[in-house]
Amino acid sequence: MAQVKEITRKLEEIREKIKAEIAWEPVGPTPMPEIPDLRNWDMRLLKTYAPFYAPFCDLCCFCTYGKCDLTETRRGGCGIDIATQQARWVLLTCLMGCSAHSAHAGHILEFLIDKHGPDKKIDLGGSISIEAPHIRTVVGLKPETLGDLSKAIEYVYKEITHLLDSTNMGQEGSYLDYESKALHAGMLDHVGMEVADIAQIVGFNYPTSVADTPLIDLGWAAVDKSKPVILFVGHNPATSTVVIDYLRENNLYDQVEVCGVCCTALETSRYSDRAKVVGPFSRQLFFIRSGIADVIMTDEQCVRTDMPIEASKAGSALIATLDKAMYGLEDASEMDTAEIVRQMVEDKKHFAILDSRKAAEVAAKVAIEIAPQRRKEWLTEAEAKELATKCNVCGMCEQVCPNLFNIGAGIAEVAKGNFDLIREQFNLCIGCGKCEAECPRKIPIFKIMQTAASMEKWKVRAGRGPIMDTEIRTVGAPITLGTIPGVVALVGCTNYPDIRDIAEMVDEFARRKYIVVVSGCTSMVAGMWKDADGKTVYEKYPPAFDMGGVVNVGSCVANSHITGAAIKIANIFAALPLRANYEVMADYVLNRVGAVGVAWGVYSQKAAAIGTGCNRLGIPVILGPHSSKYRRLYLSRKEEDDWRVMDARKREIVDTGEPSPEHLAYVCETKEKAMVMIPKLCIRKNDTPQGRAIKLNHYISLHKKYMGGGLPEDIHLFVRRDPDIPLVYKKEVREYLQKIGWKPREPVGLPTLIGTYPSKVPVDAVIH
Amino acid sequence: MSAVIPYHRVNVLTGIKSARLIEDAQEYAGLIQKAKRPLLVLGPLLLKHSLGDKLVLEYALEIAKAANIPTCATAQVRAKMGELGVTPDSFYDVVEIINALKDPNWQGVKKEGNHDLVIFFGIRSDLGEQGLSVLKHFAPHLKTMTLCKYYFPNANYSLPNFRKDEQWKAFLESLIDNLKKGA
Ligand code: SF4
Ligand code: SF4
Ligand code: SF4
Repeated sequence: MAQVKEITRKLEEIREKIKAEIAWEPVGPTPMPEIPDLRNWDMRLLKTYAPFYAPFCDLCCFCTYGKCDLTETRRGGCGIDIATQQARWVLLTCLMGCSAHSAHAGHILEFLIDKHGPDKKIDLGGSISIEAPHIRTVVGLKPETLGDLSKAIEYVYKEITHLLDSTNMGQEGSYLDYESKALHAGMLDHVGMEVADIAQIVGFNYPTSVADTPLIDLGWAAVDKSKPVILFVGHNPATSTVVIDYLRENNLYDQVEVCGVCCTALETSRYSDRAKVVGPFSRQLFFIRSGIADVIMTDEQCVRTDMPIEASKAGSALIATLDKAMYGLEDASEMDTAEIVRQMVEDKKHFAILDSRKAAEVAAKVAIEIAPQRRKEWLTEAEAKELATKCNVCGMCEQVCPNLFNIGAGIAEVAKGNFDLIREQFNLCIGCGKCEAECPRKIPIFKIMQTAASMEKWKVRAGRGPIMDTEIRTVGAPITLGTIPGVVALVGCTNYPDIRDIAEMVDEFARRKYIVVVSGCTSMVAGMWKDADGKTVYEKYPPAFDMGGVVNVGSCVANSHITGAAIKIANIFAALPLRANYEVMADYVLNRVGAVGVAWGVYSQKAAAIGTGCNRLGIPVILGPHSSKYRRLYLSRKEEDDWRVMDARKREIVDTGEPSPEHLAYVCETKEKAMVMIPKLCIRKNDTPQGRAIKLNHYISLHKKYMGGGLPEDIHLFVRRDPDIPLVYKKEVREYLQKIGWKPREPVGLPTLIGTYPSKVPVDAVIH
Repeated sequence: MSAVIPYHRVNVLTGIKSARLIEDAQEYAGLIQKAKRPLLVLGPLLLKHSLGDKLVLEYALEIAKAANIPTCATAQVRAKMGELGVTPDSFYDVVEIINALKDPNWQGVKKEGNHDLVIFFGIRSDLGEQGLSVLKHFAPHLKTMTLCKYYFPNANYSLPNFRKDEQWKAFLESLIDNLKKGA
């Protein structure tokens, strides 16, 4: 009895928070879901896409019982085994990522509520009425004001605490339950990101309800170093926007150059199209060491932790502007502005200044004062050659290189006056700086690499935020029928095997009329290539969320709009209610929306959270080789696994034998393999024969292009009946099918996992 | 034995169970020949590197032939094998083959039962080391071996970090000879 009362009280509280009385849609089964609420959905996913663990370490050292050896059948002092320890680690990783985005959201929300008040209306323009698909689906709330967003973020904070609790020594003992919790964290991450980006769009007046956002200058050559230069590093635009306001108000914007590295650059360019985007995270240390920045302003996430040391080496002034990263610097938030400027200019001191107005004023004044005295020359080839002669090709640099290549060989070639190899290697370099730190001869490898850096200027399209409802209405049918072969989202950071892979992938799939979406550092990298006519992919392809379009949604937190678009297809196109209806949305996306994430160079914990959030929503993710270090994938075994679905129209369970999508989190080693996996992971059971034939056409043709001819050996698993076979390959495929004794099977009318596992959701709920 | 540090420091072992380092090609050949159902997993680095005038892939194929080991072509290896007129016995990408190998009941690429020795060759060392970790921890029913020129701590049997490519080349040639002799 007491328990029933407790549940009722809790539900009432939730209903109040989400304003359940406003009946924009009926409240679904899981408003503000807690850990157990979507567990059955997770377990169903994990049954087909079992966790695949690659331990990074044989041991656990989480508590003072340790270190515990977890090899073979050993368990730690607390009873944990190696698989569960990996899952615990995965959960922690996802929580770090989710916290980073959510704390960013919370901070920016507070900042903007201070500025505009909590009643500031959320208005994303005339073409976006479903403003917050994640908040609506997960929380069950339709946010109308900035104040409403606070409720969503408070829910996320609460869940993070419960999840983190479970990682303490001596609790959860099942890897599957840890995975369910990681999936929960991933889902929360998308809510957090959505809060952040909606708040930013509303509070900073970013472009919205428009596809054709400005093209922004990209590359360090785009930065005018003859002016005082202020560089922003990180993710949170609370500082950069205030600096731009300050420069505008004081008529200094023409005199000072403003640029950024990493996502904060993308944010800044959404605020002012005159701000320059230097490049992604992997170019951070290069640019800082070039000394071009007079003042460096750091905010949060993906900022090098040795920034004060690097800034001093380069003679740049440093201001840390957010509490997340204060580097042990003196907090000058209360100090007199003139005194801070004096100490920064005369004593070359760095400060933390958490008051963004003050930080902006100091940055402008210091930049203007110190710039004329600073030398900002690029190294010449002759100078590089001279510096390189000290190299004795000892190989120490290669041994520490996380991208496993021999930069020393490139340096040795420079010493001979040949720059070809190092130019090639610059594309492989992820900018960690470990080689130079290791070099026993103290060779300034980064400086030498300046001569290999392209002096090209490129373009990146400013992030446009959410996909418009009007676009969803147009593409909903062709995506779910399969006649648009897929949505390919290239996202995340820059730990690539080769930076050139990205533009190549964008070009390949945009040319094939997929919808290509990009975000974060990857959106910059996509722009760092030109075709024979000198066009970047942003100039070559239209910016529409439609076949053959290349869409930049924006920074890291804008990733929520990509997954949000998948939810919107279910809600706007298929007219399924989304409110507190996560399972139905995720089931729809998994079975009917041919979308795949490609996180080719991700390194951060945030990326792990984003990817895991995609997975819970039914979107598979392809990762590059470095991501094997995340320790966990979700893989199926196509021949053995359970591919049964409910045909919701016939009310019967059908064994499709069709592994679509085949994996949920998958690592491949090379770009070539990724090129073939992308079309395959866009296949869905819902495809019409015409749609399936289009998808298989790309799968086969990319397979032939990158795998050296022949048919993919699993093609028979994806051909249901003869009309599924693409026309161009009819003969070849028919012959193959005949040879292996393939039998036709009926396509499923309305495929769903609902009804195949215990769930509160009735099968009726998926019928639109 | 003092710990062997892998050439690429990202692969340094944080643990206790590390590969037996073997430099003697005859011993390696013996281990391969002792296996009932070996498998050779071929990675894309085999297409990238040459030893003398031969692609490393060609050495791999000679090994497969000499000891009659079925092959698994990962990534785009199949394309080059096709050019060389060789058909792989199976096509799985690296994480897929490892996922299958993990299952003791899997019937192997020849459908004759799971493999008892899996030889990895030509996979980038960080991914390879992670893949070997999967098998080290979750596939006690099989042994792993590497043929790349670096030490892989997570394997059961590994070559040392060869300082010079010539040493590696000599090892591979000797291994092929030994396998041929044994056959
Ligand atoms: S948490 Fe468990 S496995 Fe880890 S060190 Fe403590 S007792 Fe050992
Ligand atoms: S560590 Fe220094 S000396 Fe050694 S190869 Fe690299 S650049 Fe040359
Ligand atoms: S900075 Fe570049 S070359 Fe140097 S170790 Fe890092 S990735 Fe390798």
